[in-house]
Amino acid sequence: MPLLSMTGVHKRYGGVRALDGASLSLEAGEVHGLLGPNGSGKSTLNKVLAGTVSPDAATIELDGQPITIGKPRDAAARGIAAVYQQLSLVDSLTVGRNLTLGVEPTRAGFVDNRASAAEIDEVLERLRPGLGPGVTATTEVSSLTPGQQQLVEIAKAVLRRPRILILDEATASLHRDQVQLLFEIIRELTAAGTCVVFVSHRLEEVMTICDRATILRTGRTVATLTIAETSESELVRTMVGDVAQAERRAELARTDDMVLRVRGLTAPGVSDVDLDVHRGEILGLGGLQGQGQSELLLALFGATPIRAGEIELNGRRVANTSVVKATGNGFALVPGDRGSQGLFMQRAIQENLSIVSLRRRLLAALGISMRRERGVAADAVQRLSIKIGGLDDPVTSLSGGNAQKVVIAKWLLNEPAVVLLDDPTKGVDISAKAEIYAIVRELADSGVAVILNSSDDVELAELCDRVIVLYEGRIRTQLVGDEITSDRLVAAALLIGEGDQGTVDETVAAAPDGSDR
Amino acid sequence: MTAATTQRAGMPDRLRSVVRNPVVIASIIAIALVVIGQIVSPGFGSYNQVISMLRISSFLGIIAIGQTIVILSGGDGIDLSVGKVATLGAIVGARVMDGTDANLAGGILIPLLVGAAIGLVNGLGIVYLRIPPFVMTLGMLGVVQGIILAYTGGAAAGRAAPFLTELVNTRWLLGAPGVLFVWIILIVLVTLVLRRTRPGWNLYAVGSNRTAARLSGIRVNSTVIGAYVASGVCAVLGGLLLLGYTESVFLNLADGYTLPSIAAVVIGGTLIAGGVGGYLGSAVGAIVLSVLQSLLTTLNMPASHRTIVNGVILLVLLALYGRQRKLRS
Amino acid sequence: MTLGVDNRAASSRAVAWIRRVQVASVVTWGLLAAVVLVNAMVQPTFFTLYSITSTFATFVPLVFAAVAQAIVVIGGGLDLSIGTIVALSSVVALKVMNGSDALIGVGFLAALATGAACGLVNGLLTAVVRLQPLIVTFATASVFGGITLVVLPSPGGAVPPAMTQGFRLAFAGIPVPVWCVLVAVLIWLVLSRTKFLRHVYAVGGDAQAAYASLVPVVAVRILTFVTAGALAGLAAMGVLANTGSGDPFIGADVALDSIAAVVLGGIALRGGRGGAIGAIAGAIILALVTNVLFFLNVPTTFRELASGLVIIAALALSVLTTRKGVVR
Repeated sequence: MPLLSMTGVHKRYGGVRALDGASLSLEAGEVHGLLGPNGSGKSTLNKVLAGTVSPDAATIELDGQPITIGKPRDAAARGIAAVYQQLSLVDSLTVGRNLTLGVEPTRAGFVDNRASAAEIDEVLERLRPGLGPGVTATTEVSSLTPGQQQLVEIAKAVLRRPRILILDEATASLHRDQVQLLFEIIRELTAAGTCVVFVSHRLEEVMTICDRATILRTGRTVATLTIAETSESELVRTMVGDVAQAERRAELARTDDMVLRVRGLTAPGVSDVDLDVHRGEILGLGGLQGQGQSELLLALFGATPIRAGEIELNGRRVANTSVVKATGNGFALVPGDRGSQGLFMQRAIQENLSIVSLRRRLLAALGISMRRERGVAADAVQRLSIKIGGLDDPVTSLSGGNAQKVVIAKWLLNEPAVVLLDDPTKGVDISAKAEIYAIVRELADSGVAVILNSSDDVELAELCDRVIVLYEGRIRTQLVGDEITSDRLVAAALLIGEGDQGTVDETVAAAPDGSDR
Repeated sequence: MTAATTQRAGMPDRLRSVVRNPVVIASIIAIALVVIGQIVSPGFGSYNQVISMLRISSFLGIIAIGQTIVILSGGDGIDLSVGKVATLGAIVGARVMDGTDANLAGGILIPLLVGAAIGLVNGLGIVYLRIPPFVMTLGMLGVVQGIILAYTGGAAAGRAAPFLTELVNTRWLLGAPGVLFVWIILIVLVTLVLRRTRPGWNLYAVGSNRTAARLSGIRVNSTVIGAYVASGVCAVLGGLLLLGYTESVFLNLADGYTLPSIAAVVIGGTLIAGGVGGYLGSAVGAIVLSVLQSLLTTLNMPASHRTIVNGVILLVLLALYGRQRKLRS
Repeated sequence: MTLGVDNRAASSRAVAWIRRVQVASVVTWGLLAAVVLVNAMVQPTFFTLYSITSTFATFVPLVFAAVAQAIVVIGGGLDLSIGTIVALSSVVALKVMNGSDALIGVGFLAALATGAACGLVNGLLTAVVRLQPLIVTFATASVFGGITLVVLPSPGGAVPPAMTQGFRLAFAGIPVPVWCVLVAVLIWLVLSRTKFLRHVYAVGGDAQAAYASLVPVVAVRILTFVTAGALAGLAAMGVLANTGSGDPFIGADVALDSIAAVVLGGIALRGGRGGAIGAIAGAIILALVTNVLFFLNVPTTFRELASGLVIIAALALSVLTTRKGVVR
């Protein structure tokens, strides 16, 4: 009998199925990997287990007994603890107080510091090789590096003596030695009968630490493999599946007409990036999520300070020191989170469409002609076939795909020369996706330089003329034309030295200039 | 699905949205209060009495213009200094005018500049020093109080110019004083600025989502600072008209207007979180509060009870309109 | 090798942090020392027992109000109604005691209960109905202020003589008002060892993280306001002992002054950091500034402007010294 089994887990976010009947079975004392490409639902499945997401439907059995998990408190009561990339540490408190937060031992209402001190010191001593000598129970968490914070977060979960410990990308901010330390701790835990669920984008870690692995694809469980009997390449194959080769955009007659040229761009989260985008070209940004793609787009758009490097637009140097300047220079950004960065949710669709380009149509540099605004907005709605009730309805009345089209439309009205798209089809249903693809292609065909970041490898393969794969803020490699396939993108992102892709050292040095190939 | 929605948007839906409109609700409340007043105390709803109540509302209404703009600008925007600033405006105005029309222009312009300067300091502190709006404006309240004492030496001097008094106290057209027409013009003007100019649309955008506003190429800082400057100017304008009403000035003339100005904005349906609402609602809100005060006075309710009622009304309205999201709902 | 870099970065950041904290408290304690020094210079009798008694007597209420405000602010909230809670608690206690020495104990209970009840109202409205603390307490300030006027329409009434006389005595060579400040310190020290206050820090620092760590966020928020209300009740008893009669308008400046004391004491208005000892120091600084202005013969009419500017300058100073922490 498994320690815990989850079957038929369903979860929908609006029109998007995050989980579609996924299942997971865990044994006591094992390290169980959970794998899948971006957006396959592994995080959602973890969160269902930890009680932070309540599923639409699920059967969960612990020790063979059916249970329900609705709140984090339920999960904690069942001995399930989770560590996410997004930490649950209170920055302003000390390490010691964070470790016992919520479970402080007390005597007559007073915190019994002595009761927990020994335990805290023991766990900190155990983590000493990873934390370094300076970190004690009285160190404030905000003064720690991300890696140290991650270790404290792990210690916090371990101190609660869970039966099931979920580590969701817990190694992402750890250095190699810290990962080794974590592995030692995991082995001690499993030897004592704890089950560890391990999620990592680093396949070699999965190969090293996991006993078994469950693989998810588009919200479904496709396989559970025993790691000792499988290989890295087989894991990748199972993750990617037999994807029908994406239909590629017709090869365009390459012009040498360079629209955007970027050299040595360094900004928060981005190091020394070179880019060239020709007229009519769609340049893709690939790689694992959070490797600097969004940060690169924000830096190009003047939204984060550029520390070094230069940007040339049509042969002229431009200084995108602020969004206002970048907008004036003909840049447009469709940001990654349309709700919090792209839209004024409670405001009318009309206002959302007009706001960026309003300046172009004012009466006496101040007044707004509603007739003109309505005409322009109605045109945009029709051109992008946005399905709306009325222009005066708030954006909240729209589906994800149509809301995203509003963001795109507001920028098109400003007639940009460079369009930066940050994962524009995230959380968008299939048909709207196809329409957005058509819009992006049309944009490129009309001579606009397009840079597209996408967490969906199929999307990159389908749309892009060239794809740059980023890793930790640097360009790792570049794929051109027919090289852009799902499995090569996955392989490049996971740092598997496969085929003719270079190693990290080579590609950082190589100039990603497509025309030279 | 959208097609279906469009079809259903027939009469019942439109009716429902009208009935749910805060401006409509507030107007109904105002009228109901007048009717109740007329029943309890005949003559309360007479034309002259209503005009008189509207005249009283105009001071609060004009001070609430700035409060509306500041709250619309979002980011926990609020101006707790409006009452004191209005008082200062009246005091400076009275001293400059000194009871003669010859000094009228200076007596209006100088206080307005003072109000703009105070608003500018508020805005700069909030935007560049990142002092939370309530702390900044609360601190400013203390400073303005100090300025008032230092400027007057503890005893206010001067009088309103006769023109100003006439504007507020003399019936001019349809039995209504000029100040009511000034207010009506301001209602139209402010609504136009908010709904039909770029600064107005930028204000709504900034209040609705600052990140998105910044990423849409809107100058967020200037917009926020502008909102506080507008608040200082409007507060002084309200204070000057109040000076016209009282003719002479006291050291706490308009101090009590801060809480009602916020209440008027909330009654008018402007979201305390910013980005949604408008001035017409605040104007009606000001009328509701003034009529309520008159009614409570008519009922011989002492000032202390009226203060309680004011606070409770604000709390009830907030509970209806202004609830925040739950943690991880 | 990466670890080495890691550590150096961490330790240099730790040093920077310690420096920042020390700057905050150096500002607080430095200001306190400066104000005491200036005060001693302009007021030659400053260190006499009589003078210490009367100086401390004036700021006992603000000290308790500052501790109350400190707890709310550390918890990520704000209480603009502290002033009127002090006023309401003082008039209720005044009526209950009715000038009789025998009823002083009952008076204390009445003040505490009144304050706690007001705090409960604030707490329920912010934590359960989920309204912004700022506007809630602004509105309840109006309600409590109105109720105060209902209880005591105009200044007057007599405080039990034992209270006013006792307040001027010395006990074990130390004036009673000084003892009161020490009691405030003691209350804070006791509270800061409770699980409740640990959770207040966590909720103020990061409510989401606290919730994820199974801290009962709603209950903590309610209790925060109740505790602050009860402390405001104690401040009310200090007011009565100091003035000897009731005044419904007593709390007018307390809200702003208590916030200023908290900021002067190095408590971040974002919550989660600082301690009430700093706020007590802040309250003493504010009171002594007023004292200094008096003895410097600054005209009465300029005194308020001067103290207003001092408060604004302190706010700006505090925000600027902690700014790196905000941006990070």
